[in-house]
Amino acid sequence: MNYIELASEFAPELILTIGALAIMMIGLFLANSQKKVLGYLATIFLAVASLVIVYRGIYDIQMEGILADSLTIDPMSQFFKLTFLVVSLIVVIASIKEYDGHSNQDEYYTLILLGTIGMMVVASAIDIVTMFIGFELASLSTYALAGFNKKDPNSLEAAVKYFIIGALSSALLLFGLSYIYGMSGGLTNISELAVFFNNNPAVLQSPMGIIALMLIVAGFGFKMALVPFHMWAPDTYQGAPTVISALLAAGSKKMAFVAAFRILLIAMIAIKIDIAMVFMILAIITMTLGNVVALSQRSLKRMLAYSSVAQAGYISMVFVVMSPEALTGGILYVMSHAFMKTGAFIAVAALGYMLLKENSNAKDVDHLDNFAGLGKRSPFLAFSIMIFLFALAGIPFTAGFVSKFILFLSVLEGGFYLLVIFAILNSALSLYYYARVVKYMYVLPPSSDEKLKVPGTYAVAILLAIIGVLAIGIVPEPFINWAASAANVLGL
Amino acid sequence: MEEIIDNFIPVAIFILFGLVIPLAIMFIVKQISPRSKTLAKFTTYESGSVPTGSANMMFNVEYYAYAILFVLFDVELLFLYPWVTVYVNEAVITSTPGFTTGFSILAMVLFMIVVLLGLIYEWKKGVLEWVR
Repeated sequence: MNYIELASEFAPELILTIGALAIMMIGLFLANSQKKVLGYLATIFLAVASLVIVYRGIYDIQMEGILADSLTIDPMSQFFKLTFLVVSLIVVIASIKEYDGHSNQDEYYTLILLGTIGMMVVASAIDIVTMFIGFELASLSTYALAGFNKKDPNSLEAAVKYFIIGALSSALLLFGLSYIYGMSGGLTNISELAVFFNNNPAVLQSPMGIIALMLIVAGFGFKMALVPFHMWAPDTYQGAPTVISALLAAGSKKMAFVAAFRILLIAMIAIKIDIAMVFMILAIITMTLGNVVALSQRSLKRMLAYSSVAQAGYISMVFVVMSPEALTGGILYVMSHAFMKTGAFIAVAALGYMLLKENSNAKDVDHLDNFAGLGKRSPFLAFSIMIFLFALAGIPFTAGFVSKFILFLSVLEGGFYLLVIFAILNSALSLYYYARVVKYMYVLPPSSDEKLKVPGTYAVAILLAIIGVLAIGIVPEPFINWAASAANVLGL
Repeated sequence: MEEIIDNFIPVAIFILFGLVIPLAIMFIVKQISPRSKTLAKFTTYESGSVPTGSANMMFNVEYYAYAILFVLFDVELLFLYPWVTVYVNEAVITSTPGFTTGFSILAMVLFMIVVLLGLIYEWKKGVLEWVR
């Protein structure tokens, strides 16, 4: 493979790299009032990169052995890359208004693009070292983004917590991977590792192997925010700028899932039962705790953060069942969740922006009371929040229903009755706190009769997310087929 | 397994010495060194100058700028050095499919451009000016 072919395979990543560097350079020569153009530029780069991925084909593309077997291009990598790109696209479109006139917009958009590249590298990586580099690129960019409102103590707290926990989880993960590397005699390629552990299952069952797996599960657990490794997530998602919370919940958290799908498969081959048990306990406590704590939240961002913890619990059922159907459901859930969560956070950000514009001293703009009577003040925003929340709860004709249906069905077919009972009970429980927001918006009287006008870019971002949620919900077949072809890659 | 443990015995001895020797030295110093507890001993500077003003003041460290500059030049050098030994190595070129000298030079030039953009960024942000 020569470098022209290589460049065409990784055109989306290259486009984003050029975009990030260009935005950084152009931003140096612009006044703060002109820097808005950088947001549009980032939008264009992300849109072009997404189109290139779609144009290259997403169902049956298969390239192996790129750059000394460190990267692969297959339906799974393309599925996740497109998800990350769309999430970043929505976030960038929403940010244009949020940070209009801000002096550091060039760094902001550069970091978002670089973070997206990191996530895309993780999606493509089949080598544990390359995967780790991708993780770090995405993490370092998002640490800085979480603390982007540097005058806001909450944002700084969010960034510090995220940074410390992120560094800790990276260390745990790397330590576990180093044991795997040592035990296998110096293999880093995931498929070679899978073959090695298939031939020598005793290695992973030795004390050292168990320690390595525990470290890896804990490292991924922190990144996926599974209980008991979730403590950072609510504080970070609540404190970070709302648009960045969308990126964290829908993008960088999902990056851990694609890596875990690929890496933990090695372990599944050798010691299927033990690790399934660990993940069964993790999944049950994660979804239960996430939903129960979300019930009592008055801040909508914090509620969405806990609901995000709960959703991670649903997705981690994949590691228990590990059938192609479950993986299909899990992968589809990742994309659905990306649309629903991004949309919900962006809608909350839009309300926060409008309330702050109305009264620049407003505190706690994501508090539930601010949503009272929103149906009258801004019908579009209230309706879109309702769609996102119902999708998160899993009401039919939304993405949430389709992906939950496939995932829960596969768990049932796998014979894990206890798990599926917990999952369905939790889904029912979650409807309570989602519906409470809808009640606030449509039943309670508004605090003022003044209409709120949603700024154009926010509306576009929200509309994109709504299209995604409804498209997966109403026409699920192409998405299910796509997720199934992505799941086939792992050859379960 | 025992073989591995045997190999680490020197390390264990090192750790033991590392723990014992500082403690022993501190203990010996405490025993034999003379102590004078005069008033001058407890002033900020034993030489006698009187400190003025408060020590709690704010100053702009801008450490990140040095970090970026350090990374710029350190990583560049760190990356260039092994590259120089490899890129014309016949054995490496023939054993790696798709690897050519032109490819590696192009890759390094692209890397240098990215690093150069970093320097331009620093420059335009005014980091290279010592006093502002």
